[in-house]
Amino acid sequence: MRTKRIITGLSMIMKMLFRRRIILIALVVLPLVFLTVVELTAPTRYIPFRLASLDIKMFIRESLKQIALVFFSVTSSGFLVSLVALNLVQIENDVNRRLVICGYHPFELLISNLLALLLLIVFIAVYITMLISFFVPIKHLPLFIFGLMLIGFVYGCYGLLIGSMIKGKLEGVFFIVLLANIDAGWLQNPMYYAEAHNNIIIRYLPAYFPSQSAVIAAFTDYSGANAIFYGTLYGAGFLILALLIFYKKMRIKK
Amino acid sequence: MMVLKVENIAKAFGKNKVLKNVSFEMKPSSLYGIVGENGSGKSTLLKIIVGEWKSDSGKISATGRLGYCPQQTLLFSQLTVDEHFRYFAAAYGIEKETLITRSESLMNYFSFKKYQKEKIANLSGGTQQKLNLAIALLHQPKLLILDEPYNGFDWDTYLRFWNYTQQLRDEGCAILVVTHFITEKERFDKVYNLEEGQLK
Repeated sequence: MRTKRIITGLSMIMKMLFRRRIILIALVVLPLVFLTVVELTAPTRYIPFRLASLDIKMFIRESLKQIALVFFSVTSSGFLVSLVALNLVQIENDVNRRLVICGYHPFELLISNLLALLLLIVFIAVYITMLISFFVPIKHLPLFIFGLMLIGFVYGCYGLLIGSMIKGKLEGVFFIVLLANIDAGWLQNPMYYAEAHNNIIIRYLPAYFPSQSAVIAAFTDYSGANAIFYGTLYGAGFLILALLIFYKKMRIKK
Repeated sequence: MMVLKVENIAKAFGKNKVLKNVSFEMKPSSLYGIVGENGSGKSTLLKIIVGEWKSDSGKISATGRLGYCPQQTLLFSQLTVDEHFRYFAAAYGIEKETLITRSESLMNYFSFKKYQKEKIANLSGGTQQKLNLAIALLHQPKLLILDEPYNGFDWDTYLRFWNYTQQLRDEGCAILVVTHFITEKERFDKVYNLEEGQLK
């Protein structure tokens, strides 16, 4: 494995990403629109809710608007990273194949993609935290950023997995939107979760641990270490699967 | 010594047997052509030779650096010509100084140097095809595999292409050209016809 190849790959991938206007617009405008809509529409009524991942039985009392803002920052972070990850491995996949025929190892290409994704995860997490700071006082800013990075990691690896498995662009986007919408955009909402008839299923979905860690960091002084650990584990699972499928598809067959 | 040895390659897609025990071999400095109708399995055979697809049976042995120019222009639409040379040079393991010399030489020879800072999305089909070919030539291959290489070339570029292949042959490179139509058979050492999955 050559570092030079990985660095060249990373630099080219970043150029390709930032030359696509639609990606820039999505990264900058979408979170702003999401949060502004929530700010303008969510009720300000205070309600108590319980965080499932904390061992102790304690209730947090926050306004619906603040909860919704934190929740949608998690949703938009996961959704955006997932779409970019899908784009990274799926778009111009045939040209990546040619690079492999010419000498790149599939893992070198995947590591370049992964590094590009990590840079984007950090960018999106910091950007969304800056935006939400205008609307909500976040208790532990670095931990909240980390929570957003965690959802980015889990959903980013999910995007890589879908991109490695599915060739069709529309089908890929469908799988991303389906899970992001149901999991990160609906079931993990603390308000929904607290009242859910069967929350066992919700606990096994990918956005559960990252959203818990972000909400804990935003509103409490408790430790979200458990949520961070299991969230990382979840993302690593997606990543390993993505690596294996990507390698199987891209390797030279002789 | 053989540069390429293809032994009993077979490939089927479902019940459709595209290649049936295809065998041939190439020496250094040889120029072979494979012609066939659309859907006869020419591109399938090339994809198996370069390792993009797996054959159902048979064996491929190739020695030396391989250059492959696919039928489709496989390029990144958002990168420039220069950036493509840098990216593929990293794949080939070519050092910076060598890359500059070779890419300049190829761009000058095939007359597309003025587009070196242009993104692929802004280039004509012919210029994209020149770059597609130049990438395959960048590392001075010992075995060059070309799938419909002069699609979209003007007459001048077509002639330059043949001059360049002659230079490569003089340096010991074996060249395999796959096309649906060959007009100048005398340029080739051997021309195979791929018919009903077999070379004739």
